Amino acid sequence: MINNRILDEILGQYPVKVKKNRKKHIVIKDADMDRQEIDANTRTIPGVITNRGCAYAGCKGVVLGPLKDVVHIVHGPVGCGYYAWLTRRNKAKSEDPTKNYMTYCFSTDMQESDIVFGGEKKLTRMIDEVVEVFKPEAVTISATCPVGLIGDDIGQVAKNAHAKYPEVNFTAYSCEGYKGVSQSAGHHIANNGLMQHVIGQGNMEEVPSSFTLNILGEYNIGGDGWEIKQMLEEIGYHIQTVMTGDGSYEELKNAHVSNLNLVQCHRSINYIADMLEIKYGTPWLKVNFIGIDSTIKSLRDMALYFSDQGLMERTEAYIMRELQKVETLLEPYKRICEGKTAFCFVGGSRGHHYQGLYKELGIDTILAGYEFAHRDDYEGREIIDSIKLDADSQNIPNLTVEPDVNRYRVKVSPEKMEELKEKIPLNYYEGMMRSMHEGSIIVDDLNHYETEELIRILKPDIFSSGIKDKYVVQKMGIPTKQLHNYDYSGPYAGFGGAVNFARDIAMSLASPTWNYTVPPWHSKPLLEGKILERVSDNA
Amino acid sequence: MTKQNRVRNVTENPCNMCMPMGAIVPFKGIENAMIIIHGSQGCATYMRRHMAEHFNEPIDVASSSITEQGTIYGGENNLKKGLENVMQLYKPELVGILSTCLAETIGEDLGRTASSFTREQGEGFTARLVPVSTPGYGGGHYEGYIQALYSIVVQLSQKTEKHDRINVFVPHISPADIREIKRILELMEIKYTLLPDISETLDSPYIQPYRRIPAGGTPLQEIEAMPGARATIEFMTMLEDELSPGKYLESEFGVPLYRLPLPMGIEACDELLRVLKKLSSKAVPEVIKKERGRLLDAMVDSHKYNGAGRAAVFAEPEVLYGVTRIMAENGILPAVLATGSKSPALKKLLQSLTADCDEKAIILLDSDFVSIQDHCANRKINLAVGNSDGRFISEQVGIPLVRIGFPIHDRIGGQRILSVGYNGTMMLMDRITNTLLAEKLSSYRQDMYQSLYKYPSAAANDH
Repeated sequence: MINNRILDEILGQYPVKVKKNRKKHIVIKDADMDRQEIDANTRTIPGVITNRGCAYAGCKGVVLGPLKDVVHIVHGPVGCGYYAWLTRRNKAKSEDPTKNYMTYCFSTDMQESDIVFGGEKKLTRMIDEVVEVFKPEAVTISATCPVGLIGDDIGQVAKNAHAKYPEVNFTAYSCEGYKGVSQSAGHHIANNGLMQHVIGQGNMEEVPSSFTLNILGEYNIGGDGWEIKQMLEEIGYHIQTVMTGDGSYEELKNAHVSNLNLVQCHRSINYIADMLEIKYGTPWLKVNFIGIDSTIKSLRDMALYFSDQGLMERTEAYIMRELQKVETLLEPYKRICEGKTAFCFVGGSRGHHYQGLYKELGIDTILAGYEFAHRDDYEGREIIDSIKLDADSQNIPNLTVEPDVNRYRVKVSPEKMEELKEKIPLNYYEGMMRSMHEGSIIVDDLNHYETEELIRILKPDIFSSGIKDKYVVQKMGIPTKQLHNYDYSGPYAGFGGAVNFARDIAMSLASPTWNYTVPPWHSKPLLEGKILERVSDNA
Repeated sequence: MTKQNRVRNVTENPCNMCMPMGAIVPFKGIENAMIIIHGSQGCATYMRRHMAEHFNEPIDVASSSITEQGTIYGGENNLKKGLENVMQLYKPELVGILSTCLAETIGEDLGRTASSFTREQGEGFTARLVPVSTPGYGGGHYEGYIQALYSIVVQLSQKTEKHDRINVFVPHISPADIREIKRILELMEIKYTLLPDISETLDSPYIQPYRRIPAGGTPLQEIEAMPGARATIEFMTMLEDELSPGKYLESEFGVPLYRLPLPMGIEACDELLRVLKKLSSKAVPEVIKKERGRLLDAMVDSHKYNGAGRAAVFAEPEVLYGVTRIMAENGILPAVLATGSKSPALKKLLQSLTADCDEKAIILLDSDFVSIQDHCANRKINLAVGNSDGRFISEQVGIPLVRIGFPIHDRIGGQRILSVGYNGTMMLMDRITNTLLAEKLSSYRQDMYQSLYKYPSAAANDH
C-alpha cells in the first residue's frame, strides 16, 4: 500500500517546485477526514508527459463532433482537423445516410499566406461550397490556435453566412488550443455555443410524452448510448435528444421540451444541465449507466422522479428480467476477476463510473483519477462556490441565462423537489472521492512518470486508461483496458454492457500471453546439480 | 455526389497531417533522445495518440503546454520549465524542440531559448538541444520529417576524421523496412550510420525492466561524425537540394552522395546492390542472389493475375514512387497516384515512370481523399494501396485496400509491414496479387454465369 513517505520518494524525483505542485494533485483517501481537498483544473506542468488535450479537442472533438447531421468545419492548418477525424469512436447512424457527415473531415487547411493575410475569406468560400454541396441544416466552425492569434473573427463570418443562408444554423466556437488548461475549457465553450444558438431553436412546444428525457454527456462510444436508449425506451421513456452521441441538430434544437435531463458525464455537460434548469425549469439527475448496481439505482431514481406507478412497475420488471439474464453470464468471468486490483484513470467521469462495475466483478480500484476534471468532480458539487477562479478559467466566458418567458415550465413543484433531493441526486453530483475506500489513492492529471512509479509500487492487475499510456503499461507487463475507446469493443453500459466488459477484462487477465513473459533461460537456475549425499540436516 | 459539384476550397478528408507530427519521427530514431513540442499541449497529445495507434508503442513526447497567458507574454518560460522537467525525468542526451502553429504565430525564437537554456544550466550540462521550426501551416508531415532530418544533420555534424562508415538517410518507412536495409548493408559488410533508425525504438521488444526511452536509435556520436563518412546514400530522390542532408554533407564536407529511390521493385533493388557493390569490396553474397531469384520467380508466378489490376496509390512521396515502380514492373496499371505533399519533383518522376502505360496516370499532389475517390470511380479502379485513411473509399465504393505507409490505424502491425529489398518487394507483391485474387474469386462463378448465360435476373434469383 501507498503512504506519504513512499509518495514523497516518488515526487522527490521532480524539481522542488514541481514536487510541491504535484503533491496537491494526489490524495490518499483517509476515511476519518470529513473532506479531503485535491487540486484540479490547474495548469499542466510543462515537460511531464500529461495525457491532457486542448480546448479544441474538448469542443470539436468531444462535444460537437458527435452531432451527425452537422457539418463541422475546422478553421486552421490541416493537422488539427485531421487529428480529430473520427478518433473518438462515437458511433452514429442516420435514417438518411446523406445527412450523416461523421466520416468527413473538413478543414480550411490554412497556409502561411492565410496566417499573414487572414483566413476569413477562405473560410467564407468554404462555407459557400459546403452549403451548396452538402446542404446541411447546421454548420459549426471550430477555431484552432492561430485563428484567435491572427484575429480572424469567426463569429462574424458565421453571422454573415447566416444572413446569406437563413435556413442554415451557423455557430462559431473560439476553442483555440491554448485556452484554459485542458479539454475542459473546450467543453465549456461548446456548451455555451449550443445553449445560445442551437437548443431552443426548434419550434416544438408540446412535450411528446409525459416521460420525455434528454440524455446529457453520453457520447455513444462503442454504442453505449444505443444500449441506454434501448433500455429506457423499453421501460417507457421517450428520448428527445442525446448530447451528443449519435445526436442530431434536428433533435437537439427541441431539447427544451423535455421533463428531465439525465447527466452521465458531469464534467463535459454540466453547464448545459444547469442552464436548462434556469431557462426552461428542467431539473437534471446525475445517473450512471456503467455497472449493474449503478444502472439499477439510476433507473429507480428516474422512476421516483416521475413517481408514476406504471413506470415504477415496468422499471422493476425490467431490472428483474435483466438481472436474471446476466447473473449466469457473469459467473465465469467473476471467477477470473475475483480478488484483483485496478487502476482507473480516465477523462472526466469514467474514472469514477467504472469503479462500481469493477467492484461487481470482484476487482478493487486502488487508484483512480481524472485527466481534466474539476474539484467538484472529485469532492462533490457543494464545494463549487469555494473554488477560486484562476486566470485560465476566467478567460472562458461564463454564459448566464434567464428564464424563458414563454417556455419556462415548472416540472416539479418546489416542495416535491426538496423531497426528491433527499432521496436522489437531483441537480447534484457527489464526486468520485466519497465512494473510494480507505487507503486508495486519487491522482489528478496522472502523467507517465507517476504512472510507472505507482505501478511498480502498487502492482495492479489491470490498468484502465487511454491509448497514450496503454503501451507504457503493457510493456511493463500489466494488462490494460482502454476506457476512452474501449479497444474497439463495447458497449459497456447497462446490463448487457456489463457482461461485455466482464468478458473483455477476464480475457485480458486470463490471456495465455502472460505465461510467456519470462523466457525459459530466465526461469531455469544458472547452475544445475543434484544432491549426492546429505551431510547434515542442520547445515 | 458527382465530380462537378465537389467542394474545392475545402480540404475534405485530408491526406496529410501537419509538420510537427512528421518531425517527431526522425528524433524518435536517435539514441537516447526526447522531444518537446512548443505549443498548446493538445498538439503533442494528438500526435502521440496517432503515433501510438500506428506503432502500438509508447510515444513519449513532451509539451511546453502554452496557455493563454503564454500567447500574450511569450512562451519562453514554459519551454524552459518543460526542458528542465524532461531533463530531470528522462535524462536524454538530445532533445528535439519542435515549434507549432501557435509558437510560430506568436513569434517564438526556439534557437535563442535553447541556447539560453543551455547557458543557464552551466558546465555540467552536456545534452544537445536541436530546435526545428515546424509550423503546422508550413507543410504536411512529410515536409516536417524532411525539415527535422535536415536540421539534425546540419546542427549536429562536425568536421571529423575520415572513417570507414557510410551515411544512410531514409524517408519515413517502417521499422521492419529499416531492419531489412540494415540487414542488406550488413550482408554486404558495409559499416554504416543510418538515420533515423526507428527499427528498435518504435518497434521495441517486450523486455523487463521497462525503459522510459527505448533502446536503439542512431547514436549521437555517429551523427556528429557523418562528415567523415566515405559516402552517403540518400533514399530520397525528390528532395530539393536545400533540404537534402546528403547534399549538405557533400557540399560542406565533400562526402560523395548517391541518391537512390527506396529499394522497392526489382530494378530499384538492383540499383542499390550496384551501389553497395561499388562501396564494398565484397561480391554480392549468395543469400541476396537467392532472394533476387525468389522475387523473380514470384513475379513470374503472379503476372497472370496482376494484369487485371487497376490501382490507386496514396502515400508519402518516396513510398508512393516505390509502390508505383513495383506496379509498373508487374503489369498493374498505376492509374491514380496521390499524395498529400506538394513535392514538384515527384510529379516529374511519376510522369516519366508511367509514360509507357496504356492509360495516362492521374497524378494528384496536395490531394485529399474525396478527390482520390472521384478519380477511382472514373478510372474503374479495383485496387487501392496506401494508408488506412483510404478505408473510407473501401467502405463507400468497395475497392479493397492494401495497407502500407503511415498511419495504419485500423489494423495491427503497421510497424512490421515489410516492403523494401527483394524480400519486401515480394511480400508487398504477394499481398497485392492476393487481394486481386480474393476479389476475383469471390465473384468468379457468378460473373462467368452471367457472361455466358446472360440471364442477369435469373442469376440473381438463383441465389
